[in-house]
Amino acid sequence: MENPLIVSAQGLRKSYGSHIAVDGLNFEIQRGATFGLLGPNGAGKTTTISMLVGLLHPDEGSVIVGDGSSKSNGTAGNPVDDSVRRLIGVAPQSLSLYDELTAKENLEFFGQLYGLSGGRLRERVQWSLAFAELEDRQKDRLSTFSGGMKRRMNIAVAMIHEPEILLLDEPTVGVDPQSRNHIFESIQRLQKEGLTILYTTHYMEEAQRLCDSVAIMDHGKLLALDSVPRLIAQHGGCSVVTCELGRLPEQVELPGQLDGTLLRFESDRPLEKVAELSGQGVQFRTLSISQPDLESVFLSLTGRSLRD
Amino acid sequence: MNRIVKMAIKDLRLLARDRMGAFFILGFPILMGLFFGLVMGGSNSGEGRAKMQVAIVDNDNSDMSRKFIESLKANESIAVSMEELESARESVRKGKRVAMMVLDEGFGESAGVLWGQPPTIKLGVDPSRSAEAAMLQGFIMESIGQLVGERFQDPDLMRNFIDKSRQELADNQSISSTNRMLMQAFFGSLEQMTENIGALQTQSDDSSQAPNAGKGIQFANIESLDVSRAVDPDSTAGQIAKLNSKWDISFPQAMIWGVLGCVAGFAISIAKERTQGTMTRLRVAPVSKFEIIAGKALACFITVVLVIVTLTVLGVLLGMQPKSYPLLVLAAISVSVCFVGIMMFLSVIGTTEQAVGGSGWAINMVMAMLGGGMIPVMFMPAFMKSLSNLSPVKWGILSLEGAIWREFSFAEMVMPCLILIGVGIIGMSIGTLIFRRTDA
Ligand SMILES: Nc1ncnc2c1ncn2[C@@H]1O[C@H](COP(=O)(O)OP(=O)(O)OP(=O)(O)O)[C@@H](O)[C@H]1O
Ligand SMILES: [Mg+2]
Repeated sequence: MENPLIVSAQGLRKSYGSHIAVDGLNFEIQRGATFGLLGPNGAGKTTTISMLVGLLHPDEGSVIVGDGSSKSNGTAGNPVDDSVRRLIGVAPQSLSLYDELTAKENLEFFGQLYGLSGGRLRERVQWSLAFAELEDRQKDRLSTFSGGMKRRMNIAVAMIHEPEILLLDEPTVGVDPQSRNHIFESIQRLQKEGLTILYTTHYMEEAQRLCDSVAIMDHGKLLALDSVPRLIAQHGGCSVVTCELGRLPEQVELPGQLDGTLLRFESDRPLEKVAELSGQGVQFRTLSISQPDLESVFLSLTGRSLRD
Repeated sequence: MNRIVKMAIKDLRLLARDRMGAFFILGFPILMGLFFGLVMGGSNSGEGRAKMQVAIVDNDNSDMSRKFIESLKANESIAVSMEELESARESVRKGKRVAMMVLDEGFGESAGVLWGQPPTIKLGVDPSRSAEAAMLQGFIMESIGQLVGERFQDPDLMRNFIDKSRQELADNQSISSTNRMLMQAFFGSLEQMTENIGALQTQSDDSSQAPNAGKGIQFANIESLDVSRAVDPDSTAGQIAKLNSKWDISFPQAMIWGVLGCVAGFAISIAKERTQGTMTRLRVAPVSKFEIIAGKALACFITVVLVIVTLTVLGVLLGMQPKSYPLLVLAAISVSVCFVGIMMFLSVIGTTEQAVGGSGWAINMVMAMLGGGMIPVMFMPAFMKSLSNLSPVKWGILSLEGAIWREFSFAEMVMPCLILIGVGIIGMSIGTLIFRRTDA
C-alpha cells in the first residue's frame, strides 16, 4: 500500500554567492518512511534541511510539507507558514539548546513556543525526558551534560510538540558508539510509532541500518535515490572474494589472477562461485567475501570515497 | 504576546544565572554609586566639620554688637570674618561662606534684654547647606543668651536702658494709665535690682554666675536674607545648591551604568542565540522574528526598570530623597525605552558575541563619557557640555536627576523624556528592520 507523500521537494536550488550549495534537488518522502540524505561534508544536506523547514528560501523550486490529511491538521504547504511549521520537528546539526537552563526548562520553553501549556505541556515534557532517558537529570543544567546526553536532548526538544515529521541533521556527530546505539534505538522506536523521519548523515552504515530509502548527494546534486538494496544492486557492483588457496588441482579454471597463493575475484554470486570451486577440489585456507554497500555505491557514483 | 512573554521570562532566567552579566547590571553600578557617593559626601561633611565660615556685617558698631561678635568668634565651630554687606553677600553666593549675618543699627540696644522687641539679626544661608544653617542659628541664640548675662552684670548698661525705656514710656501716649503705672513700678524695682547687682559686683568678684537664659524666651529675632535667588540656577553652584544628599549625583549615574550593563548584556544575547544555535530553533518554531526581538526588548525593559527601582530603593535607604516619585517613574520609563532601543540597534550590528559585545561596550563607553556617566556634565568644560547633548546618557541622567533632586517641573521633564523616547523608538525601528532582513 502506498502511503501519501508528506514531504515533496521539487527543483530545489540554493546558492551562496557564486557557490551553488544545492543544485536542482527533487525528492519525496512518504508518510511513515525514514528517508536518508547521505553525502560527504559540504554536500548540501544542511542547506536542504534549512529549506525544508523554511529557514532558507530556495532560489528556485518549491517545498511542500504535510499531506493535508487530518493527521497533518488538514495542512499541506510551504513551511514558512506557522501551521506547517508545527508539523515539523528539527534537531539541528549543531546543538541548539540553552546550556544554562535545565533539561526540563529547555523542554518547557520550546513547548510553550509551540503553544503547549498546562497538563499537556507537563505530559509532553515527561514524554520527552523519558525519550531521551534523562528523567533523573531533568533538574540539571545542560552545561553539566555530556556530549551524548546533549545530543539526546537535541532530539527530545525536536519532539516536544509531537511533530509529524522529524528532521535529524547528523544526530550522531561526536558521539561514542554506546550513545550512538542509544540514539539509534530511540529513532527505531519513533519509526515503529509511524513517524516520518528525514535523516542526514555521512555514515553509510547509519543510513543502511535506519533508512527505507536513501538519497545520495554530492556537490549539491542528487546522484541516486532508491531503497538501500536496490541502490546496491544497481550501483554497488559485485561482491569481492579474497582467499588464500591451499591445494589447487591443475585443470581448475580460476575466476581471477593468482598472486602466489592469493586469489582475488569479483562476482555477483560469490557464494555459488566459491561452492563451485570447492566442488572442483580447490582447498581454501582463508576466505573473505565483501559485499557491496553504500560506500561502494558512492564510490562507483563519484569515483571518490564517502569519507575523506 | 504570550510568546513574547515566554521569551522574556526565558531571557530573565538566563540573565539571573549569568553571574558576570548580573554583576555588570547590578553589582558594579551599586559599587559605583556607593563609592562616588561616599567620595562626594566625604568632602561635604569634611567642610561641615571644619569651621563654618560666616561673614558678619556690623552696622550697629556698639559695645553689645562687638560683644556678640566676640562670643561668636569664641565658638570653635565658627570662623567669623567682618565684611561689608555686598562682599558678604557675594561670598555666600559664590559658596565661599556658609552664611552672612547683618546686625542692624540698634542691635546693641535690645540685645540681651528679656523684654520688649528682641533684636533682629538678618541671616543669609547658602540654601544647599541648610543643616549647617540650623546649627548656626543655635550658636546665635547661645551668643545672644550670653548678652543677657552681660546686661545683668553691667549696671551701667542696664541703667542706661532703664532710663531710656522710662523716657519712651513717658513719651508714649498710647499706653493706658494703669499700664503706665505698672511699667513705672517695674522699672523702679529693676533699677533697684541693678543697683544691688552693681553693689554686689563691687563687693565680691566671684559672683559672676550668669543667670540662666530662660528657655522659651526669644533672645533674638532671626530674619532670613534670601541669598539663593542671587545664584544663577544654571550655574554649577546653582545646581549643586539643590543637592540634598551625597547620593544625588552618584546614584543616577549608577542607574545609568546599570542600564548600560543591561544594554550590553541583552545586545549580546541575540548574537548568543545565533552562536549557540538556539536561534535556529526559535526561527523554526512558529514564532515571528518580531516576536523574537520583542521578547528580548521586553526582558531588557523589565531589567532596566528593576535596576532603576533597586538603586532608588537603595539610595532612599541611604538617605536620598527623590523630590518627585511620579516624575521618577516617568524618567525610568523614558530611560528604559531609550536604552532598549539602543540595545536593539546594537544587537544587530554584528552576528557574533565578540563583535556585538566589543562594539556594544565601546559605544556604551563613549556615550557614558560624553553624557556624564563618569564626570557629571555640570563639571565639564563648556565645549564638552555642548557635546554631551549628543549622548543619550546625558538625557537619561538629566531626567533621573530632574526627578530626584533638580526639582524639575513636568514641563521641564518633557524635553529630556521626549529625546529619550525618540532615540528609543529610532533604535527599536532600526534594530527590528535589520533583524528582519538578516538570516534571509
Ligand atoms: N551560510 C553560508 N554561507 C556561505 N556558504 C555556505 C553557507 N552555508 C553553507 N555554505 C556552503 O554550502 C555548501 C553546503 O553546505 P551544507 O552545510 O549544506 O553541507 P552539509 O552537507 O550539511 O555538510 P556537513 O556534512 O559538513 O554538515 C558548503 O560548500 C558550504 O560551504
Ligand atoms: Mg550539515
